[in-house]
Amino acid sequence: MSTIADSHIATHSASNVGIKKVKNDTLGSKGRRLGYVLVAPAIILLLLITAFPLGYNIWNSFHHVNFANPIPGQPFSGIHNFKTLTTTPDFGIAFVNTIVFSAVSVTIEMIIGLGLALVLDKEFKGRGIVRAAVLIPWAVPTVVSAMLWKTMFDPYTGFVNYLLKILHLPGSNTTWLAHPSTAWVAILVADAWKNTPFIAILLLAGLQVIPRDIYEAAKVDGASSWQAFRRLTIPLLKPAILVALIFRTLSAFLIFDIIYIMTGGGPGNSTETLAYLNWRAFLVDTNFGYGGAISVALILMALVIAGIYVKVLKPET
Amino acid sequence: MKKIKGNTTPHKTTQIKAGSALLSLALLASACGSSSSSGSSTKSVSASAKQTIVFAAGGLGSEGTATKTAIAGFEKLHPNITVKLLPLSSSSSSAKQQLTQSFIAGSSTPDVFYTDVIWPPSFAKAGWLMPLNKFHPNSSAFFSGEVKAGQYNGKTYAVPWFINAEGVYYRKDLIPTPPSTPAQLVADAKMAMAKDKSITTGLAFEGAKYEGAVTAFINFLGGFGGKLNPSNLNTPANKKALTFMHNTIYSYHISPQAVTGWQEPNVQSAYLNGSAAFAMNWPYLFALAEKPGSIVAGKTGWIPFPSATGTPQAALGGDMLAINAKSTHSAAAWEFIKYLQSPSVQTQRAISAGDPPALKSAYNSSLYSKAPYYKQEKAVFKYATPRPITPAYPQISSDLQTMISSTLSNQGTPGALLKSTAAQLKTIKG
Repeated sequence: MSTIADSHIATHSASNVGIKKVKNDTLGSKGRRLGYVLVAPAIILLLLITAFPLGYNIWNSFHHVNFANPIPGQPFSGIHNFKTLTTTPDFGIAFVNTIVFSAVSVTIEMIIGLGLALVLDKEFKGRGIVRAAVLIPWAVPTVVSAMLWKTMFDPYTGFVNYLLKILHLPGSNTTWLAHPSTAWVAILVADAWKNTPFIAILLLAGLQVIPRDIYEAAKVDGASSWQAFRRLTIPLLKPAILVALIFRTLSAFLIFDIIYIMTGGGPGNSTETLAYLNWRAFLVDTNFGYGGAISVALILMALVIAGIYVKVLKPET
Repeated sequence: MKKIKGNTTPHKTTQIKAGSALLSLALLASACGSSSSSGSSTKSVSASAKQTIVFAAGGLGSEGTATKTAIAGFEKLHPNITVKLLPLSSSSSSAKQQLTQSFIAGSSTPDVFYTDVIWPPSFAKAGWLMPLNKFHPNSSAFFSGEVKAGQYNGKTYAVPWFINAEGVYYRKDLIPTPPSTPAQLVADAKMAMAKDKSITTGLAFEGAKYEGAVTAFINFLGGFGGKLNPSNLNTPANKKALTFMHNTIYSYHISPQAVTGWQEPNVQSAYLNGSAAFAMNWPYLFALAEKPGSIVAGKTGWIPFPSATGTPQAALGGDMLAINAKSTHSAAAWEFIKYLQSPSVQTQRAISAGDPPALKSAYNSSLYSKAPYYKQEKAVFKYATPRPITPAYPQISSDLQTMISSTLSNQGTPGALLKSTAAQLKTIKG
């Protein structure tokens, strides 16, 4: 398992080396041309499905493209759409909600996911079945699991309140989705249930490539198991952690489906996130200009997050 | 980056269409361009030519069956026209998104489609609907509130298919005389809850953050003489109505806090399982309540939400029919619309799917003999009150939904929320 930064550097140097090598000996420019031809379909496909919508969105964000209030010709509107972002209170609320949700959900999921991975890495009877079973929540489509959790948190039909009641725990009279704070708890639970297995499996793959003998060597040198975990497992797991963190943070940052199903952004607008606003701008207000501006803002924020991770967690070479 | 310029709306949409067609090609999504690909000019095929038209409407349940029956009847009458049903989501907001996406992509199909009463102005303003005046639609034969919902800037863009209005179901066995004021409704609900332990909900209504909360709000407004006027929302009567909604949960205790997440199906099950004394819902519930085996059969009455001022409001709903501005089959599409509006088809749909006819003359003894409850329904339709008829309705509704949801979840006082929402609505350009 290698990190994105890692593989980036790796491919870079590899290709540099490769080109030099190619020039020096066997293949020559003919072989390289064939290479370009062979990768062309993939490149074209990628350009069409990522570059075109991206460009189209950026174009939209600087123009008046509003089907609910059309102006013929869709004139250039400068930074008007971006200005709207800063003046709408909804955007500020959604921004804070999104950041806090991402931080809390990723932290919880990383901790539980790491715990799960460590357990699944140990030898025990029925490990194969357990490993497969852990992945089930992740394989359930989010819309379906969000529906399930919505039903389970329902004060009448759900089991959550029932369980709290028979265990004599507080909160058995809660209408979970009717208060901002408890609605967030419900959303976090649904999100963690769905995504923790994903982290666990990524980290498990990372754990499996760590050679066992270094633990034995550490043991011989008198290291406790905590020291082994702290000084060996964590540093060697860093690349896998980085990948899991980037994937999870970015997808938490773009959370939409669970919220759309469970709360519709409510109560009030207390659980609206940036992706939810984006959906509303595009498909409820049919304002593609403003929606495009939100999308562009989202992309920039996602880039910043990814950049920070790569910088902070860059493995020592 | 693809540059999309263009001076006119149709021009622009064609280019967007070209772009998205390219995209869908790239995704290897099978292109759906089956019958009619949109040319640059909109030439129209005559109604007598052999052709296929695409009709987009809900395809599930008894409504879907009634639609399929109607299509078969139409095809028999017009052997040269084949109608292909494009099933839309049964959730109205998802169906709207499905339609919106094909219009934005500039598709010439569906040729004819259903539209909720609240969509025509915004669709018409975007240039997606064909003006129907050239077909001379008959407007006097249908309920006038719904006819108006299909008009924008003096032109008719959609015509009634069936009507809906939201009223209050009540248990006749527990409440012998229906309430005539909101205060009386509260007293009756409390009395029913005290009298019968199986009644856990005095008043069930839709309080979730979605369109249904707005229609419920319109009904409550009628109780206090309020009006849903986006440019004048913050009135004393409206404040009374919003405060009443809040109080049903927090001070009268006749509605559970769970209503903050309830949509029509939740209200429906609360009423049908016998746990609600009053339930705000649409006409479809009447047929279910009167079905053999229903525990509330013969015990159900339906009234508009009672009004202290004597003029109740029943939120107007219902489905209309419209033609895609880019369709090349408008003549055949109009023939199909006329068929769906004809008396026998309206009656057939009313009986088999519970969709109340938009045609006033369909309320006659032949309908009442099969479904007597349509008599009570017609009495509610009299008070049908449309939501604001403006292209900006989607944004207005979205702000109202947030206001109602915040009120019901106790995130502010009704007065303050009404005031801030009123200010917000004034900034929406219509």
